[in-house]
Amino acid sequence: MSDLETFDFLPLHIDPKSKAISSTSSASNSSTRALDAELAALNTLHRAIHALDPPHIVPPPPVPVNPKRSANVTKLRESGNAEYRKQHYSEAAKFYTLGLQMALTRPAWEPSQLVREEVHALYSNRAQAHMQLGDWPEAAVDAEASVEAKKQGNAKAWFRRGRCLIEMGRLAEAREWITRGLEYEGEEKELSELLKEVDGKLEEERARRDA
Amino acid sequence: MFDINWGGLLLPLAYLVVLVGTFMTFSRVYRKRKAIESANLAPWFGPHLQRNVYLSLLHMEPEEGSDKAPKVPETVIRAALLRRAVEDIRRIIQIRTAKTACSSLLQRGSVGDDLWQRFLRAEKEMEEELRDVVMEANALLPGWGQIIFQSANEIAANKVLRDRLEEIEVQLEHDKEWWDKRRGDVKTDPTPKDQQQPADDEASEKGLAKAGSEDEPVLVETADTPSAAATPAATPPATPQGGSKKKKGRK
Repeated sequence: MSDLETFDFLPLHIDPKSKAISSTSSASNSSTRALDAELAALNTLHRAIHALDPPHIVPPPPVPVNPKRSANVTKLRESGNAEYRKQHYSEAAKFYTLGLQMALTRPAWEPSQLVREEVHALYSNRAQAHMQLGDWPEAAVDAEASVEAKKQGNAKAWFRRGRCLIEMGRLAEAREWITRGLEYEGEEKELSELLKEVDGKLEEERARRDA
Repeated sequence: MFDINWGGLLLPLAYLVVLVGTFMTFSRVYRKRKAIESANLAPWFGPHLQRNVYLSLLHMEPEEGSDKAPKVPETVIRAALLRRAVEDIRRIIQIRTAKTACSSLLQRGSVGDDLWQRFLRAEKEMEEELRDVVMEANALLPGWGQIIFQSANEIAANKVLRDRLEEIEVQLEHDKEWWDKRRGDVKTDPTPKDQQQPADDEASEKGLAKAGSEDEPVLVETADTPSAAATPAATPPATPQGGSKKKKGRK
């Protein structure tokens, strides 16, 4: 953007039927790749805008949110929780997965904070279900995703990934993770206990190695 | 009375003329050089791809075989403008985060003045760019200028979140493979402990963890493969047994 009055003309082509925009230049290098990626994003956004409910022709302001999707996500999470209580862990995980799909396909212009709220709970619950099934890698990844969506006030997810890493024997990693969790959560009781546990194990390991 | 001796003043006057002349030439040359330099400063940001796409769509050229430029529907134009706004948001965030760092570096003299010049210019350009986008938005649809950046802001934030989540999710394949291999190793490794504790730790996570922390299986492991056990990651394969056992117990 060197000049505000000019622009670089790009050879673009519009498909008369689908209205999809594509680049007409045939050369292949990094700049055309970037252009292609951008055009793909543009076409996706265009389709999303096209699918808007009639009174809107441009994305409405982020708030207020259409309550339909939030209700669906909540319902799916509650179904998952019900299955979990009945100890049907893989069914519960399935419900959580559906909920996640629902939450993550929310139109891009709706509040990202809301997405974070919904997604962190679902990931965290799915992690718990996976833990009950003994699927440690899945649970660890889900708990990490939950923490990514919400770092503070999410002690459960911090704890769950820590537990999974311990179960998988990645003790050093677990220790690092839990320490980081404690930075975010303050002196959270369960996390602190988990840290002590890891330290104990590391100590044991060291003693064994020295022996 | 005041009889000025022009002849005697000639020398000092000539001196002054030369002095002022030198200063002026110097300052002119200096300023010109400075102007060229700042005109040639590399822009802070690369080319604004989204802006180019948007403007190219507005100025579509007729394709071969037809003399009319293809008509681009309004919806596409709006989407392109929104994409442009999203990119602007990304750049604004970059500028804001860079500003404090940049100014403190400048004060300490860690970076040159030209970097700061480039920065200021980028800031000014972004202001213009924002104004332009708001104007375009209002032209496309009255009142859209007020909300386009709100929408763009959420789109940008959502993109960041989704990218991060995707990054995390791709680890799963790798982790799972590693874990399956690891567990396989443990299963083929017949330890006495294996028969000793059948489905007795149905109990809880805590119970499991304790089972894992018992020394015995690990000691066996150490005896089998001392070199592997020496590395920290290879030590607790006892735990996996507990994990897989639990799964069987549940079924």
